[in-house]
Amino acid sequence: MHNKYRSRFFINMLFLTGAILLAIYIHITNGTFDMSVKDIVTTLLRMNPTNEFDLVIFQFRLPRIVIAALVGLGLGIAGTVVQGITRNGLADPGILGINAGAGASIVIFMFFFQMELAVSGSSNWLSILIMPIFGFVGGLAAAILIYVFAWTNGKLDTQRLILSGIAICTGFGALSLYISLKMRESDFEMATVWMSGSIYNANWMFIIAMIPWLIILIPVIYRKAHLLDYFQLEEVSIKSLGIQVEKEKAILLLSSIGVISACVSVSGSIGFIGLIAPHIARQLVGIHHRYVLPASAAIGMFLVIFSDYLARTIFAPAEIPVGIIVAILGVPYFLYLLIKTKA
Amino acid sequence: MGTTVIRAERLTTKYEKFTVFSNLSTEIKKGKITTIIGPNGCGKSTLLKTIGRILKQQSGEVFLQEQDMKGISTKAIAKQLALLSQNPEAPLQLKVEELISYGRFPHRKNVGTLSSKDMEVINWAMDITKTSAFRTREIAQLSGGQRQKVWLAMALAQETSILLLDEPTTYLDLAHQLEVLQIVDRLNKEHRCTIVMVLHDINHAARFSDELIAMKNGEIINVGPPEKIIAKDVLKEVFHIDARIMVDPENGSPVCYGYDALPECE
Ligand SMILES: Nc1ncnc2c1ncn2[C@@H]1O[C@H](COP(=O)(O)OP(=O)(O)OP(=O)(O)O)[C@@H](O)[C@H]1O
Ligand SMILES: [Mg+2]
Repeated sequence: MHNKYRSRFFINMLFLTGAILLAIYIHITNGTFDMSVKDIVTTLLRMNPTNEFDLVIFQFRLPRIVIAALVGLGLGIAGTVVQGITRNGLADPGILGINAGAGASIVIFMFFFQMELAVSGSSNWLSILIMPIFGFVGGLAAAILIYVFAWTNGKLDTQRLILSGIAICTGFGALSLYISLKMRESDFEMATVWMSGSIYNANWMFIIAMIPWLIILIPVIYRKAHLLDYFQLEEVSIKSLGIQVEKEKAILLLSSIGVISACVSVSGSIGFIGLIAPHIARQLVGIHHRYVLPASAAIGMFLVIFSDYLARTIFAPAEIPVGIIVAILGVPYFLYLLIKTKA
Repeated sequence: MGTTVIRAERLTTKYEKFTVFSNLSTEIKKGKITTIIGPNGCGKSTLLKTIGRILKQQSGEVFLQEQDMKGISTKAIAKQLALLSQNPEAPLQLKVEELISYGRFPHRKNVGTLSSKDMEVINWAMDITKTSAFRTREIAQLSGGQRQKVWLAMALAQETSILLLDEPTTYLDLAHQLEVLQIVDRLNKEHRCTIVMVLHDINHAARFSDELIAMKNGEIINVGPPEKIIAKDVLKEVFHIDARIMVDPENGSPVCYGYDALPECE
């Protein structure tokens, strides 16, 4: 009885893959330094490589694209999970304060361990690897606070979840700002750019730092995707089916926090992806989470790669943080959703 | 007479600070239909949810076949006991047959596909509730009464010997109320299901139950067969009404054919 959904899913995934490839193509070929596909292919295949092309592709554009793709993937998945377990289409890791928690904790890390050292490349790979762990601690702190405020009668109260999320988000945002004001000027600038979500100082080390988190946690989430379908019923019915609701929700939430922390630690807080991607995914592939999850991941990938391309080129040679581009696209969509759910 | 299948001992259940009942004890007999009656807000749903391990009691124990339910995994319980909520919700785009298939959760080993046994039970549940006609429709396209039957089918798909039904006849017109209660009766007679339900219609309660539990303000006022509970003095105490009662010549069960409110203070 699922055949119709499955073919719809595969058609959409094909289409999304095409969109992602197109975004990658635009991103890698365009810029202050235009390259042809032929240049790129020959460089990638190591046929008479030139230093120039190598530098642009391997040091600048490719790591950015890979990070944009991974961040989009992670945020798309985390957003789907958060919306699924809260049964609220307006929930999003950003709104719940998880991004802000991870962000604040990383700002603290930057403050103590010196931003410059952390990003100035290979000599300090250890601190780059540690950043997601710091992020995780902060994200976890946010999640614990959310639980403290939203836990009533042995379960998570959805209304309170959203409200306390907003409060926590503001609180951690203020903390980040406060700490960044205490930083040295050069650090401060980097920290603010990073906080508004940017990936232009991407390098391969960041990718290595975030990949283990994704490789371990995304399969955990995917294996529990079917539970997200059950979570759309109301509490009594879910429990009656013999699902350990709170335990499963905690596993899913913790895994998402891990994914988010890895993303936030490399790109800062990019909002709205976790909100928009699952929505579009549901429009495309329906309500089954084993389809929504990969579709949302793909949409997240596309959105971040494409936004990063815009961030890099609109005011070239100046860069705008990709988070701002995403917000410019995301705010109207969010308002549209608000109006639609009200009607 | 009869063995006990669920035994609640000295249960206390609270919502935050509000205690719904304390030290409440009761027994459910195996293979019987037991109906809980009582005014709105007296704690019927809370009792049903507590014995169905949906709510955790503050203190006291619930025994399922003489085994403390705290020691049984929730999935193992779900194979023995299903609970139909008073106000169930599902995504509106969900297909009827998919919702019903959710009832198979405790029995399923792999998440991907339904086994032929699963399909068999789902089809049986749809047959018995007469919901097969709209199996491919979305929940959004059903009337309130049709939805109610789909939810009942989902509970049946759980294939349990105990069913806890919280107001299974809400939203239904007179004929469909009867139809659902006849399904319940059939499950009880043909499939030996133990049924515990909440009903507001005391005549239906009298007609279809072996045993009634009358509750008021978080206390069990009286327990017994319909002849004992659907009586002037009990109804006066529980609902504060002056009921006129006769015996239905067709099936011998007591019927309340009219009632008046009692004056406020006596
Ligand atoms: N989630 C909750 N939080 C706080 N109080 C609650 C909650 N649910 C129910 N109550 C209170 O507990 C008491 C018992 O509620 P319960 O739902 O068990 O009543 P009921 O007998 O099923 O009523 P009805 O016939 O209206 O369904 C009521 O006073 C109600 O206000
Ligand atoms: Mg009730």
